This record gives sequence, C-alpha cells and structure tokens, in this order.
Amino acid sequence: MLHVKIIDVSKEKIDLVKAQKFIASSKCGASIYFVGTVRDQNDNKKVTGITYDSHDALVIKSFEEIYKEAETKFKFENIAVFIEHIKGYAALGDTSIIIAVACKHRAQAYEFSRYIIEEIKKRTPIWKKEHYEGEDSKWLKGNPLVDQNQLK
Amino acid sequence: MKIKLELYGASREFSEKNYLEFSLKEKSSINDLRNEILSFIDKNFKGNNNFKKLVESSKFCSEQNNIVANSYKITKDQKIGIIPPIGGG
Repeated sequence: MLHVKIIDVSKEKIDLVKAQKFIASSKCGASIYFVGTVRDQNDNKKVTGITYDSHDALVIKSFEEIYKEAETKFKFENIAVFIEHIKGYAALGDTSIIIAVACKHRAQAYEFSRYIIEEIKKRTPIWKKEHYEGEDSKWLKGNPLVDQNQLK
Repeated sequence: MKIKLELYGASREFSEKNYLEFSLKEKSSINDLRNEILSFIDKNFKGNNNFKKLVESSKFCSEQNNIVANSYKITKDQKIGIIPPIGGG
C-alpha cells in the first residue's frame, strides 16, 4: 500500500498526522517515520531557509519505482508506505520530506525506510536552493541523475 | 521544430521565465539540443563556465516524462525538461 505526493507549500502543509493515519494497521507491529528538516548550517554557512524545486511527474514516478523495487527486493508482506516531499520555500526546522513505513517487524521497517530515502537521494529530481545570512542564495551542486536504464 | 525547454533547479538561472525556446532542425537529437543550449549560454552569459558545466552534467526528460539518452531523436514540436544534478530529501 503506497501513498505519494508533492506538497506545494504555498497551497498546503506537509503533515505527519496524515502519514500516521495512512500507515496505521493492526497487521503491522512496527512503524518508522523519517522526517527531513531544514537545518541552520551547511558548509560553514548560516542557512536561513531552503527553496525546493521539483519535476513533479518524474518525482512521483521515481517514488513509485523505488517502492516497487523495494517490494521486489525485500518481499515483505503487509507493508504500508507514505512518501511526501515539499516544493517551495521552507524555513529553519520546517519539514521537507516524510517517509512513513509500517511493516510486521521492526527490522523490516528500518530496512525498507532506509532503502527509500537512500534511493530518493540518488535519483529523485528535486533541487535545493539554500538561502544564507549575509550572502547570496545558491543552488546546491547535487549529484548527476542516475539513469536506471543504463544500470539494467 | 520548436522546443520548449522547461527549466529546473540551477538551470532556472538561465531565464527569468521558467522555460527557454529553441528552433531545431528536423530529427535533431538531445545532443543537438544540448549544443544549442551551450551556444545560448555563450551568447547570453559570456560562456559562463558554471552554466556550461551544469548543461553538460544534465539529463533531459521527454514530454512523456522519460529520461532520454543523448542519441534520442526529437521528431516533433515538444516540451523537453532539463534535469540538472539532483539533491532533494
């Protein structure tokens, strides 16, 4: 069971309660919530906020692909996964991403959740523009997109 | 052919709009489009080296939301997305 969405923060808020409701199930004994937030320092610079940019259709497609791959790789039963990422401006401490995973057992939930965030970092087309105290804002360098077709 | 290049991430610095428009010959490839963008940077940003590196390290996305190879032939007017190096989460 999967829920994926891009949250445009100019229109709505990302909400952990939604994640809790989505993954709640008596079939699962373990739930993991990964919450990414905006921190105040990067490369010795004082960060004041981050603007996130997203290719929405590709992001949704990559979330779905990552989920399907994880299902095939781990073969766990009765999994519920909730993934939302924001786009737009986020201030310090604001949530940028929620990955909520419910599985039968805790080891499965940790494993599944870790796989999802690591794959998102490698191949989901989302970009960050950091804003600093007393300096011009800057797009972060990022990593070239891994072409899944070239890996196959 | 008219190509509307949709800009994402750092490539948004290429224009105040969120896209650029290019005219390409029939059956041009992604590689040809990449070269057109590099020429655009030469003309409009005095060959800004960071911008050129960004274009060289970018992938491209078709109107059907598929990442396409350098050899991919563009056969009609369409939107293409430039996908610079990524870093979400």
